[in-house]
Amino acid sequence: MNATPGNGFAPWLADDGPAADTGLAWLDSRRAQARAQVRDQGIPTNKQEAWRYTSLTRLLEQGFTPTAKAATPLEPRDLEPLLVPGLEAYRVVLVNGRFVPGLSDLQHLPAGLRVGGLAQILKSDPDALKDRLNGVAGEAQHLFAALNTAGLDDGVVVLLERGAQVERPIELIHLSVGMDEPRVAQPRHVVALEAGAQASLIERYVSLGEALYCTNSVLELSLGRDAVLKHQRIQTESANAFHIAGLYLSLGAGSRYQCVNVGLGASWARTDLNVRFAGEHAECDLQGLYLAGDRQLMDFHLDVDHRLPQCSSRENFKGILYGKGRAVFDGRVYVAKDAQRTDAAMSNRNLLLSEGAEIDTKPQLEINADDVKCSHGTTVGQIEPEQLFYLRSRGISAPLARRMLCLGFAGEILDCLTPEALRDQVAEQVGSRLEQAPID
Amino acid sequence: MSASPAVEAIVESEYEHGFITEIESDTFLPGLDEGVVRAISARKGEPEFLLEYRLKAFRHWQTLATPRWAHVHYPEIDYQAISYFSAPKSKDGPKSLDEIDPALRETYNKLGIPIEEQMALSGIAVDAVFDSVSVATTFRTKLAEAGVIFCAISEAVHDYPDLIKQHLGSVVPHTDNFYAALNAAVFSDGTFVYVPKGVRCPMELSTYFRINARNTGQFERTLIVAEAGSHVSYLEGCTAPMRDENQLHAAVVELIAMDDAEIKYSTVQNWYPGDAQGRGGIYNFVTKRGDCRGARSKISWTQVETGSAITWKYPSCLLRGDDSVGEFYSVAVTKGRQQADTGTKMIHLGRNTRSTIVSKGISAGEGQQTYRGLVRIAAKAQGARNHTQCDSLLIGDRCGAHTFPYIEVKNPSAQMEHEATTSKISDDQLFYCRSRGLTTEDSVSMIVNGFCKQVFNQLPMEFAVEAQKLLSISLEGAVG
Repeated sequence: MNATPGNGFAPWLADDGPAADTGLAWLDSRRAQARAQVRDQGIPTNKQEAWRYTSLTRLLEQGFTPTAKAATPLEPRDLEPLLVPGLEAYRVVLVNGRFVPGLSDLQHLPAGLRVGGLAQILKSDPDALKDRLNGVAGEAQHLFAALNTAGLDDGVVVLLERGAQVERPIELIHLSVGMDEPRVAQPRHVVALEAGAQASLIERYVSLGEALYCTNSVLELSLGRDAVLKHQRIQTESANAFHIAGLYLSLGAGSRYQCVNVGLGASWARTDLNVRFAGEHAECDLQGLYLAGDRQLMDFHLDVDHRLPQCSSRENFKGILYGKGRAVFDGRVYVAKDAQRTDAAMSNRNLLLSEGAEIDTKPQLEINADDVKCSHGTTVGQIEPEQLFYLRSRGISAPLARRMLCLGFAGEILDCLTPEALRDQVAEQVGSRLEQAPID
Repeated sequence: MSASPAVEAIVESEYEHGFITEIESDTFLPGLDEGVVRAISARKGEPEFLLEYRLKAFRHWQTLATPRWAHVHYPEIDYQAISYFSAPKSKDGPKSLDEIDPALRETYNKLGIPIEEQMALSGIAVDAVFDSVSVATTFRTKLAEAGVIFCAISEAVHDYPDLIKQHLGSVVPHTDNFYAALNAAVFSDGTFVYVPKGVRCPMELSTYFRINARNTGQFERTLIVAEAGSHVSYLEGCTAPMRDENQLHAAVVELIAMDDAEIKYSTVQNWYPGDAQGRGGIYNFVTKRGDCRGARSKISWTQVETGSAITWKYPSCLLRGDDSVGEFYSVAVTKGRQQADTGTKMIHLGRNTRSTIVSKGISAGEGQQTYRGLVRIAAKAQGARNHTQCDSLLIGDRCGAHTFPYIEVKNPSAQMEHEATTSKISDDQLFYCRSRGLTTEDSVSMIVNGFCKQVFNQLPMEFAVEAQKLLSISLEGAVG
């Protein structure tokens, strides 16, 4: 590990990339601040709680540099195999972290919905972002969030006006295309729903080919009073990719937020979900499914901050581990003093299917109020021999029976996916991964 | 639920066992350097190997920094302001109870644990530790008949040097952590138990610890070795007098269970928790670890922690032998400004190893309670099984209950479950009891005892009674 603090990520901040001044004083100062933070903080080691089970060595070995500004020559038809068949959505496409209007489908946006590239909006209407950019993530001391801010360049902005209700989902496709050398893309997204707005957001991470690259995305999301958002995140990056995602959420009074996370791809994936309640009676539902096969690391960190009373949260993550797959689940529910009548339940269940697979799980509760309902549960186990026997006695082959049982285990999370077209596609992807898995 | 006057009443209630016995003691000046380590060893006339061990530990300790990861807050400890040795002035050592300093015996009487009575009524052999040197040892002869060695560790060093040399530090090495290193360097005294092959210890063994002399950190060292097929149950309980300055207590307990052996280790801890502002309580930084070295061995920890300003304690089991079993049952109570960061580690290394963790935390007033546990199932631990249950009960709205479990599984045949809940005494429960004519206090006591029953059931009879009493006293009037 590099001894000089911040050095390992120095190329990520390279000047030829996005580090040049934007011309916006407030943004440049925020970026400078983030750069200083990266330098001061240095590279986390496993002595730090949040990195206890996650080594950055492999990531640092790659020597990533920021993706160049040059547009990637892709045609809409190149995208076709990556789409969800039958999914009708307002589509925003990013290629290597950069918004590509030509591939996006943002025709006929309904009234009250604004979707656009971050760089574009920073040029045309920076005031719309001044309070929002870093407004939610600013508190975070996360190295990768700081790196993202420091290298801030492009991303997607989704703004819903007060009371706007959008039926069709908004689909955010992060497409990564292999480059001649390992590149890091650091898209930054800002999603804000004003009071009473309702929407559905689908975030998908896909790649063309099995390239080696790194995605370090940050999404800042704020829900106004009584806003409702369903957020689905499907990560199917290339098998050689590094995937880092930070979600920073601020939930207004009475708002409802559901996030369904599916982690299937990448060789090294780290996701941080940070939830902060900004008003009472808000509800947050975090669901997750992860598969980790050979040499894969799937790392989920949840930090749910019940700083206000009367909010409820659900955290339900399930994992299937095979081959030499590793997963980390680190969930924390924090209940502040006086956050009475908090209702929080966390659950993490894992199927460990082969020798060499490993799960490290850490579901934590930190409770400083007495009138609360809080619980957490964790299990690690295998496929029940009785269940296997039941299926086999009905003439189903052992591998198929195992797959069926795994899909049944995953079904609880998969069933949260909507619309059906998305659910079917993800279920199929899970199924095919299990088919290739050396489960014994 | 808001803090009722009753909560304040209990928070303000004085520590029942707070008094100081005036006994001449032989105490070192505060400070710690190699000279002090040598002096402790010289004073005890220790053999060379032990001095070497202490010095090695001391040198290692000097390289370490105070651990900061625990969920507790306290002012920095000045290790140079502590006196590292204190022994009641002994007059050639008492041969029987009659020879014991009357003031000392009076102390035990005040605590409600008269030695004679204990011997007569319960048949427990008591090796009472008054400060740092054992002054009363009972039932030695009876135990000797069975071949069981039960004595102060300082005596064992002389009488059984080979056993000490072989086992001391083999479970908790001096490099283990900051406090273990400190203890290894300056340990004052403690208990040594050796149960030979196939022997079932004829009685429950018990040590009452008592911290007495002012400003004296106490560094006990307990070593229990159970040879193949043996069985022993050990009880540890303690109270401490009131004082102004924080006292450091950094004990080390090592248990070794060979094939088919079983060790049951029970603790009731009720040290001075400090006053309403949290001043003056005991700092209890303990390293306890059991090594299930043999196949089918079993180590069971049961603890009832109601005292101390800060508790930092993780009785652990290394499940090395195939089919070995580790258990941890804990009730911890924090009230006032008490902070407890406690839990266990179950390290599954052997095949078909099993462990059970039941932790009940009760937090009242401004108490902070943390369960921190590790369950590690190594790649070769085929068929390992763990069940963990952590329940917290919150009384009052200024307290905290936290759960930090760590679960690391590397074997696909492992079965492990962890569950944790947090609750308060519900109005419905209280109303139910009250409507049947019970006072609020009795109702709370009943509900809390019910909450802890699973753990109390694991305690030996005498301890269970004491523990229940302690709990009711601790929580008197905590709910209004």
